[in-house]
Amino acid sequence: MKIIFRLLLAAGFIALSAWLWTILFPSPDKAIRHRLDEIARTASFIADESPLLIAGKAQKMAGYMSTNIEVTLDVAGEVPHKLSGRDEIQQAAAGAHMATRSLVVQFLDPEVVVGADKQSATVNLTVKAQPDGQKDFIVQQMRFTFRKMNGEWLVTRIETVRALS
Amino acid sequence: MIFGRNPKITLLRAALWAVVLLLISKFVFVPVRVSGISMLPTYHDRQVNFVNRLSYLRHEPQRGDVVAIRLSPALSTRLEAPHAMLLKRIVAMPGETVSFVGGHVMINGQMLEEPYETLECFWNIPAETLGPDEYFVVGDNRTMAEQDHTKGRCKRSQILGKVIL
Repeated sequence: MKIIFRLLLAAGFIALSAWLWTILFPSPDKAIRHRLDEIARTASFIADESPLLIAGKAQKMAGYMSTNIEVTLDVAGEVPHKLSGRDEIQQAAAGAHMATRSLVVQFLDPEVVVGADKQSATVNLTVKAQPDGQKDFIVQQMRFTFRKMNGEWLVTRIETVRALS
Repeated sequence: MIFGRNPKITLLRAALWAVVLLLISKFVFVPVRVSGISMLPTYHDRQVNFVNRLSYLRHEPQRGDVVAIRLSPALSTRLEAPHAMLLKRIVAMPGETVSFVGGHVMINGQMLEEPYETLECFWNIPAETLGPDEYFVVGDNRTMAEQDHTKGRCKRSQILGKVIL
């Protein structure tokens, strides 16, 4: 009985250690998915959010991007648009706050492909944006490129992807 | 007497049915809700429909089929249906040359009969030849400017299934 108890205790300890290991040292795939969740949460905002919170979120968003980030938007029926650097991202985020009262951003079906060097990754995903609590929403396929810098997964490139060529 | 003679068996049966229905809705008949007007007048905004994922097990997609298309070929390896898809009609088959002349679809230089096409269209799109694995898909509502309408080539692997209703 004592041996069984000890075995069970050892098994529990191993399982706990394995779980803690994945929390403390997540795989690149898991870390990137977590980062995407953070970006989606930061990009979303509710109506009448305090200016302090808005500024904080814009700064937080910029922190998820590399300093030389490039965003290329090419959507059917719209003029292609390009943003470069964190400052322009922050300005765009502030513009979004001015244009709409609330926004819910979701990243659907992320497909993470980590590079062989484990220092870079690309993610194909569907962005779903729902402004002002409307039933209508915007859906756009996008590709995010990540690079690990100083232990952090930062976005270096965001581009729209056309579903049909 | 809702639970029958043996409530445990009834609950087990109900749970089994729930699992079966869940699996069917994820992997066989996928429920979809139309968003947008690109398939008018055939399908309206917010209309509910189903995609049969098994429709192309025995034969390849046919001209005139309304199909659900994955937004990215990168998602083609996924067994689970994506959260967002395009709903379009196949007008040209692999290897064919497709063009639009005065709003009419031309296949290998011949005008395509489209009885479902009741709205006005004035598009002129130069001829392009599809690859051996490519289908040309377009919505039924072609009243908007050509560049505002999402249409084009999709790979066979992007086609998830045929719309049922």
